[in-house]
Amino acid sequence: MITFRAKDARDLAAAVAAVALATAAYRWLQIANPTTVALSYLLIVLVAAATSRLSVAVLTSALSVLCFNFFFLPPVGRFTIADPQNWVALLVFLAVSLVASNLSSVARARTLDALTRRDEMARLFDLSRDILLTTESRDAVQRLTSFVARRFELDYIAIAIPRGADWDIVTTGSLPIDLDRSQLALAVAGAERTLEFDARERTYSGHRTMTIDGHAVRIVPLRLGTRPIGVLAAAGRPVDPGSLDALGGIIAIAIERVQFLEERKVAERARQSEELKSALLASLGHDLRTPLTAIRVAATNLQASWLDEPERREQSQVVLAEVERLTRLFEDILEMARIDAGAVSTELQWVHPAQIVESAREQVSHAIASHEVRLTVGSETLVRLDPRLTAAGLAHLLDNAAKYSPAAQPIDVDASVAGGELVITVRDRGPGVSAADLPRLFERFYRGAQTNRVSGTGMGLSIVRGLLAVEHGRVWAENCADGGARFTIAVPVEQRSIEVTA
Amino acid sequence: MTSAARILLVDDELSIQRTLAPLLRSRGYDVEVAGTGADALQSASEHPPDLIVLDLGLPDLEGSEVCRRIRATAKMPIIILSARGNEADKVAALDLGADDYVTKPFGPEELLARIRVWLRRIMTDDRSESGRVAVGSLTIDYDRRRLLRDDEEIRLTPKEFELLAYLARNHDRVLTHRAILKEVWGPNAVDQPEHLWVLVAQLRKKIEPDPSHPRYLLSEPWVGYRLTTEQPDAR
Repeated sequence: MITFRAKDARDLAAAVAAVALATAAYRWLQIANPTTVALSYLLIVLVAAATSRLSVAVLTSALSVLCFNFFFLPPVGRFTIADPQNWVALLVFLAVSLVASNLSSVARARTLDALTRRDEMARLFDLSRDILLTTESRDAVQRLTSFVARRFELDYIAIAIPRGADWDIVTTGSLPIDLDRSQLALAVAGAERTLEFDARERTYSGHRTMTIDGHAVRIVPLRLGTRPIGVLAAAGRPVDPGSLDALGGIIAIAIERVQFLEERKVAERARQSEELKSALLASLGHDLRTPLTAIRVAATNLQASWLDEPERREQSQVVLAEVERLTRLFEDILEMARIDAGAVSTELQWVHPAQIVESAREQVSHAIASHEVRLTVGSETLVRLDPRLTAAGLAHLLDNAAKYSPAAQPIDVDASVAGGELVITVRDRGPGVSAADLPRLFERFYRGAQTNRVSGTGMGLSIVRGLLAVEHGRVWAENCADGGARFTIAVPVEQRSIEVTA
Repeated sequence: MTSAARILLVDDELSIQRTLAPLLRSRGYDVEVAGTGADALQSASEHPPDLIVLDLGLPDLEGSEVCRRIRATAKMPIIILSARGNEADKVAALDLGADDYVTKPFGPEELLARIRVWLRRIMTDDRSESGRVAVGSLTIDYDRRRLLRDDEEIRLTPKEFELLAYLARNHDRVLTHRAILKEVWGPNAVDQPEHLWVLVAQLRKKIEPDPSHPRYLLSEPWVGYRLTTEQPDAR
């Protein structure tokens, strides 16, 4: 089928003009040597054949033969061929045009093919980069389909993976195509049976094209090694089968990668929980044993009759203090378990920032008894947040500040509202936090290298972080230039001014 | 002993100090308290106590290091307070000179019984290699290298006698696997506890009235063995 396009018309016009120009020039210059003229025409035919289509080349060579015959071959001025040699010349013209045209069209077809392939290679490359940049396993297959649809400009992409008796089908695209499950099963079964490579198409066996709802849908098996794990269905822009096959390979690898990521996450979680368990046990070991021993000995002492009244009081004080310590420990463990289980929910209320600080102080009144807490509230607006969580977090910070401060040193608490956040700082006069500990301070069970003198489980700060995270808040620590550490918590809040009603 | 025995209690936990010190005083001991390893070392060298009760989890020094430094100059018994699960620390401390241990949380009577045993030992200390030593109904005759039960000889192999003699010389003391292996088999055998298990089983068959419920040669799980001179019902 010969279709004539605008470019061909332009090429033909240029060739006719060239023939006419050559004819006119040789006539005007009175050059009538048939060899010279014939070679000139041959050049024009060659150029036409090399740059344009076969039809243009044939027409050009016919025109050249006619002109040569009419203007230069005796008898000049007539379309007759006296000498049989001229028939040979005519045939040579035709042959040259055919050969040259064929050569050039093959070369051009190759170039086009190479360009297409380069284009698809680039798409595949971009796609694999998209996939490699995805480290999140959630919705990964859905995202994979949208990557493929975008990179290959396809109107419809589906990845179907058998899941027991049913199929997991994830689609992207504008075409409402409903895949036939039995066809998918046939495609996978076919891919399982044979694995042949078609060198011309550059595909492995198992490709098929189906017409679904009037759309040609190509079905490509997804293989991991030789094992089919599902199928890819694509519709829209025609894509070279070889590229589709390669695409199938990349998708199969991407799916496997997603599964690996998922498995690794599960393994990582298991490992972390193992680590947590052993850290918890080690930490509990000490923190339970000491109070238990003290309580046991104190109880024995209390049973004895040799105690005088002050001694008796002393022993019962030890019991009470140790019981409180155990209670705090117990509550910390519960709180941590609740945070872990995601069982902490927020309950927003309008409160004054000072109320939060007061509530926190009350919770740890025993621990901070020997320190003066100096409170500055730089805000007269009400804030809306979960006062329980915030105060519980702050209480841990106060407890910490008291633990690490030398006795009788004040603890400064500053509450203000800035940038849509309630910001509360707790500043102690202790030794500060060493640079090595700062980055890991809020990790569970992490205890600073210098904290041997102070008892603790390493749970407090991680609980603060966990509680604040529930409120989308933050907590951080820094050292003050003039000594001591400053812990800051910041919780996003709504605020409103206090309406004083008379 | 005419005056009260002096005990140095080393623990950084205030609650332990506040409860154990009155307990020990109530039993007639003269108690001194130290909260850090440094204080303990100073106190031990300035007023050497008759016995030291030492917590392994001190803020400034490893408990085993405190043991080593005290042992370098003095021979008084050291009883360790340790946590279960800290077997390695415990063994290190015993190897470096501690004599006994009590695991937290312990009952007061347990600690008091150990203290009594060790104070009694100081008064009747006989680490001599000669003469006879009685352990319950057993009599170890060092001179003739033989063992008698109620004047009847129990035949022991040379290794069995060596093990028994070593345990008896250090009666009531916890001897770590390592220490026993080194003493009886030599330094090259310390990583071969199976020698010890086999020999202990053999020895128990010969000396224990009921080898599956030993009365004399007691196991200290994961730590070592002790030859006790206490009556089983007193423990």
